[in-house]
Amino acid sequence: MSNRSFGLIVAAMAVPVMAALMSVHVVAQGGRARVAPIDPNFQAPHTPWGDPDLRGAWGQRNNITTYSLQAGKDDREEHTRIGGQAPAMGKPIVDPPDGKVPYQPWAAAHAQFLWEQHRHPTKPEWLDPVARGFLEGVPRINLQGGFEIQQYPGYVVFVFDYGHTYRVVPVDGRPHPAVRLKTWMGDSRGHWDGNTLVIDVTNLNDQSWMDIVGTFHSDALRLTERWSFVGTDRIDYEVTIVDPAVYTKPWKMAWNMGRNPLDEHWENAVWEGNRLGGLGPEFWGGAKAHDYK
Amino acid sequence: MRNWFIGSMIATAAAMVVFSLMAVPAAAQAPAAIPRTADGHPDFSGIWQVMNTAAWDLQDHSAQKGVPAGLGVVEGNEIPYKPEALAKKQENYKNRATADPESKCYLSGVPRIMYMPFPFQIFQTPAQLTILYEYVHAVRYIYTNGTPHPKGPIEWWMGDSRAKWEGDTLVVDNVHFNTETWFDRAGNFHSENLHVVERISFIDRDHLNYEVTIEDPTVFTRPWKMSMPIYRHMERNFQLLEYECYTFDNEFHVTPPGTGPNNR
Repeated sequence: MSNRSFGLIVAAMAVPVMAALMSVHVVAQGGRARVAPIDPNFQAPHTPWGDPDLRGAWGQRNNITTYSLQAGKDDREEHTRIGGQAPAMGKPIVDPPDGKVPYQPWAAAHAQFLWEQHRHPTKPEWLDPVARGFLEGVPRINLQGGFEIQQYPGYVVFVFDYGHTYRVVPVDGRPHPAVRLKTWMGDSRGHWDGNTLVIDVTNLNDQSWMDIVGTFHSDALRLTERWSFVGTDRIDYEVTIVDPAVYTKPWKMAWNMGRNPLDEHWENAVWEGNRLGGLGPEFWGGAKAHDYK
Repeated sequence: MRNWFIGSMIATAAAMVVFSLMAVPAAAQAPAAIPRTADGHPDFSGIWQVMNTAAWDLQDHSAQKGVPAGLGVVEGNEIPYKPEALAKKQENYKNRATADPESKCYLSGVPRIMYMPFPFQIFQTPAQLTILYEYVHAVRYIYTNGTPHPKGPIEWWMGDSRAKWEGDTLVVDNVHFNTETWFDRAGNFHSENLHVVERISFIDRDHLNYEVTIEDPTVFTRPWKMSMPIYRHMERNFQLLEYECYTFDNEFHVTPPGTGPNNR
């Protein structure tokens, strides 16, 4: 099959797929929408090797901050107290409909404890890992500023502006590594569903937080991302979050992304500029690893 | 004289036969053997790693605890320090365990990131090479789109890289470095006036030749060179993993309550 006829078939399939995606949201937000409309006649461009062509620079359009995914009243008040202003603070949680993370009872208590700690942590392990200069994890990195999508035969590569972070996503069907291997950014495997890139993320460690106030998870976390290319300048993003050790059920977040001008990435060295990190164990009072069991 | 003449004719004919025999395999081999992009340039895409101990010491060195012995990668084995700079290098060496910025898990700079003992993956388009490193998820963008360096002064850990092709060799020009990186654990260092020129070419499809010229008139009396092969990873389904260096000594790893293996 030639690339061109394959492309036409994929484009034709995209119409009923997009009708289903029309139910994916322009996410509830406090600020003015800057989301491009969905084009019902959208014909996605394709790379020379036949994949939908998402290459370029992208960023979220819903004023979601990484401060708090639940973006509740308490969060808004605290953010105002810290920063002197009330930002738009988009709410990315779309399932459950109340916008709250479905914690198991013990986990809800721990999340509340972390929320109370987050401005004045009494131990370093109760300070946001990102403030300590560590990696953001997934899906948080997708909200932390802009990024570039690169594509090559067999790979989709995300390079993020923040902290020279990257994600390499093989799309050639290879398996995940063994479960024992744990990483901050997870291990991603992608496949195409029409114009949607579906990414399965496993092998995450239990160390990253999904936001500053402490939305945490275990290393049983598993994510399914859907990057739906619905217009020349629009990707609708949805992620299903599964962690039977921490949550009562799967939950979902969604937001819209828009295309940005593709500029050079200039250096953003996070660890090197992190004064907390440079101080070492003496500053932290010789904090030792421990488990809560 | 006649015998000599015939003898030399025979020798010349033999030489021509030998050369023509040599020419056939050489012509069939070199251009077809290496991978190329659609625009005809060598394609360096893939996952690569050095197999030397240059990251510990660029020059010949005996083994230390945890560090193998190694032959030097510096041409001539001498690094031409100015006298006051040599004193600084020796001081660096004495304090290397804590003074080496790499011991604080800082970005390695160029060229050291290329010979850290971790794999890196090259992705290539006509406009740029994107190199992703397993070591502290470092990234280099090498622009092959004819753009110039941005105007300085700029001080970056990884510098700014602009490259052009000279035949099948990629020549990479790097400037705009800070003073914070070392070339190795042995204390070899530079100033912000560092200028690095890399030359990258295939030896064969699974081996790169990597040559680096170092110029820094603040520290050295003349430019000097290092060179080494870089090896392609051949393992099936090989991939980059993570080396988040600074998370190891920070003893903050805590398994969230209720999530340990006994709780699931």
